[in-house]
Amino acid sequence: MSDDTYLEEPRPHISNSVYLIVGGFLIVLTAMEITVSYIHALRPVMVPILVVLAIAKFALIAMFFMHLRYEKWVVNTMFVFPLTIALGVFIAMMGLFLYLSRHLVGPGFGIHYF
Amino acid sequence: MAAQPQIQPIVEASYLEGGLISWLNTVDHKKVAMMYAASSLLFLALGGIEALLIRVQLFYPDNHFLSAELYNELFTMHGTTMIFLVVMPLLLGFFANFLIPLMIGARDVAFPRLNALSFWIFLFGGIFLHLGFFWRNGGFPNAGWFGYANLTERMYTPGTHIDFWDIGLIISGVATVMTAVNFLATIVSMRAPGMTFMRMPLFVWTMLVTVVLILLAFPALTVGLIFLFLDRFFGAHFYQAMAGATPILWQHLFWLFGHPEVYIMALPAFGIISEMLPTFARKPLFGYPMMVYSVILIAFLSYGVWGHHMFATGMGPVADSAFAITSMLIAIPTGIKIFSWIATVWGGSLRMTTAMYFALAFILEFTIGGLTGIMFASPPVDLQQTDSYIIVAHFHYVLFGGVAFAIFGAFYYWWPKMTGRMLDERLGKLEFWLTVIGFNGTFFPMHILGQWGMPRRIYTYAPEMGWTFLNQFETVCAFILGLAFLVLYINIIKSLINGERAAADPWDGRGLEWATTSPPPAYNFGNIPNVRGRDPFWITKYGRAGSRGVAMYAAGQIPKPVPEEPLTEPIHMPAPSFFPIVIAAGLFVMGLGWIVLWYRLVALGLLAMFLGIVGMAFEYPTFGQETPETEEASRSAGADVRKVGLWSFIGSECLFFATLISTYVVYKARNPGPPGAEILGIPLTSFSTFVLLMSSVLMVLALNAIQRDDRVWNRIWLIGCALFGMIFLGVEIHEFYSFWQQGMAYQTNLFSQCFYTLVGTHGTHVAIGVIWIWVLIVASFTGKLDKSRALSVEMAGLYWHFVDIVWVIIFTLVYLMQQVKGA
Repeated sequence: MSDDTYLEEPRPHISNSVYLIVGGFLIVLTAMEITVSYIHALRPVMVPILVVLAIAKFALIAMFFMHLRYEKWVVNTMFVFPLTIALGVFIAMMGLFLYLSRHLVGPGFGIHYF
Repeated sequence: MAAQPQIQPIVEASYLEGGLISWLNTVDHKKVAMMYAASSLLFLALGGIEALLIRVQLFYPDNHFLSAELYNELFTMHGTTMIFLVVMPLLLGFFANFLIPLMIGARDVAFPRLNALSFWIFLFGGIFLHLGFFWRNGGFPNAGWFGYANLTERMYTPGTHIDFWDIGLIISGVATVMTAVNFLATIVSMRAPGMTFMRMPLFVWTMLVTVVLILLAFPALTVGLIFLFLDRFFGAHFYQAMAGATPILWQHLFWLFGHPEVYIMALPAFGIISEMLPTFARKPLFGYPMMVYSVILIAFLSYGVWGHHMFATGMGPVADSAFAITSMLIAIPTGIKIFSWIATVWGGSLRMTTAMYFALAFILEFTIGGLTGIMFASPPVDLQQTDSYIIVAHFHYVLFGGVAFAIFGAFYYWWPKMTGRMLDERLGKLEFWLTVIGFNGTFFPMHILGQWGMPRRIYTYAPEMGWTFLNQFETVCAFILGLAFLVLYINIIKSLINGERAAADPWDGRGLEWATTSPPPAYNFGNIPNVRGRDPFWITKYGRAGSRGVAMYAAGQIPKPVPEEPLTEPIHMPAPSFFPIVIAAGLFVMGLGWIVLWYRLVALGLLAMFLGIVGMAFEYPTFGQETPETEEASRSAGADVRKVGLWSFIGSECLFFATLISTYVVYKARNPGPPGAEILGIPLTSFSTFVLLMSSVLMVLALNAIQRDDRVWNRIWLIGCALFGMIFLGVEIHEFYSFWQQGMAYQTNLFSQCFYTLVGTHGTHVAIGVIWIWVLIVASFTGKLDKSRALSVEMAGLYWHFVDIVWVIIFTLVYLMQQVKGA
């Protein structure tokens, strides 16, 4: 029998303490984000640091609060695949508008975060 | 042996009775499908008449049968109608709706009332699109089915033409996404025992991939249409170059939807052909696994090819090359399919029914359309041919020669199952030959006209251009094609009135849909079948797959119908509901309110929708109660059907927000002057971010509480979560008001409109989440929320956490990264 046809097994129970620890991590990570954004000395590496911290928060919420860590592959695929396409669309739009077609819209046009 | 007591199915009265009411409130997927068919065939007649009027106009050079303005309206409505109101509803709403539950051995779709709601919204959306014609100082939409900006801006197209198109497509889009969520949950979670993914009929596979395409492609169109709405009604300028924006943004958003849309229409057609050929060749489908993988690959690649519609906009050599390569790559999986179909037919014991005629013709006609498509994937070739009649020839060979041929074949193949009556084969053959002659005569000369330089969308041409004869030939053939449609309509009516009775398995079919009566009972199957392999009904009849059936059939050993086993358990079917039609009517009224700019009408529509949604939520079954069919549904894939539905919606939302965020980043960089992102304050938003994150913690605590049946703490955590959500919203409103006081109105510049749109859209999601949580709180206080309904809390929680992670991105990208520049 194939592995994709069976009765649903109950997800393991996650205790309140796990949720509170994750919540604590979220507070700490957000505090780090805000602090980093105010430290001028970190300006050259600020973008990658902020991106990494945001990804960490995103992953914690998705894995523990949305229970993806405990879900079946079907449910994980239903989130990860659209997320990958969404990321691809974002990267493509940035590339198309802010880099590849710069010459079409005149000088001085480009991403201004950096 | 004692006789077993007879168990009767429990079916609501309206399933068994006819009459208008039973159609208005039905939630039966088969009845909903038939309503889709009736509506789409009506729209098909309208779209066909529009096409014939276009052809009459082009019959003579310098013809003034139609004005230029009316010509624009007709080609706009022809494209819009055929794509959104005919092909998609016929494939998804009619065939897939009727057949998916039957093919996978289910009693209905995952969410029957949502299915009815999708239909009514589609119907009201279709009517809305056509209303402009009857409007004072109005007319049909007139900017093409692609609605290129900035032609669609109010200063270039005043009046209500585009308003009807914009709002009508938003309404129809809502219906399409709902259908996609429904089908995805149905296919993933409601397959019969033994129906593994790699045993699913190929039509179901193509529908699974198609609905994923819809969920990931439609958000881009929705965002584009919302921007257009904001431009036309709120003075924004998302597509106005003079404000620093670019009309090219529309093209990216539209084709990001538009090219996957081609496969949204083509893949189900591939599935239809893959069902018909094995039946009429009496052979299993050749290369089933490769067919499945090629469908998935086509869908995946279709997201990376939208730029080939935009070579002429000057995206630059790198982008052009990338889009050219991905576009050409699609030929590989498509070629696999074509060769597999040929190999399926090769050496088979062919029965040349009308359905088989159309299936075989499909292979040839679609291949012609596909080959010209490879030509346009080359930018230098495309630059010569774009906007000429060769493009019109290409996409009609794909969408008519491909998709419409498959639809015609599907009518002859599955109509007996759906209605219990055969379509007349003689009329069918007549229709086939009229279609082949009419279609090729109409569209093949367009290749030549295009090479001669005849542009698309011109309403007339000069006699000295030398285009007259071929245009006249095309017009004559177009009327032959119209005659073919007329034959189909006559055949359908004739069949409904006194068509020959159809057996349960008139074609010696292979799938589960042939294992039940024609037409199927309301509950589809007395007992849910057990699936032992691909082509499950064929295996039931002949013992195993392969060519054994051919030999048996040739020897006259035609198997007898498999007798229905007695019911072993009662069958509960969902009750009918009037709320879907109320909600759809509310959406229609709201759209109308925007057209006439009477905001009380908008509020009235919104109120009707709200009351309809609340009514539907508490109507049946009692709030949050498990229904027998959803318990059944949880068999496959190990995921609850409602959770799968919500996750598919969340997946779609990922693309929705990705598009909004991309636009924000692109336009922030183009903002012509202050105020800009420097106006944003970090401290207050940091506070609201903490509040929102903590609300997520409270939500999971509420879930844990209800899972251990601790109703008091569940209530406390839910109230806390709702209050935190309201604090977040309060801070956002305060922030918006303070920016407005500082001179940053919505229309001030590119930054302001993008900021308010992105953050405001997220805020709207938070507000919906807050309302959802308050509904749970009310349910809890009225004793309707206990451990058995913990899934209701989990569902609200999933949505809430998703809104939370979107804010994690917005907070970083919009607020904190601004510090990088300001530092």
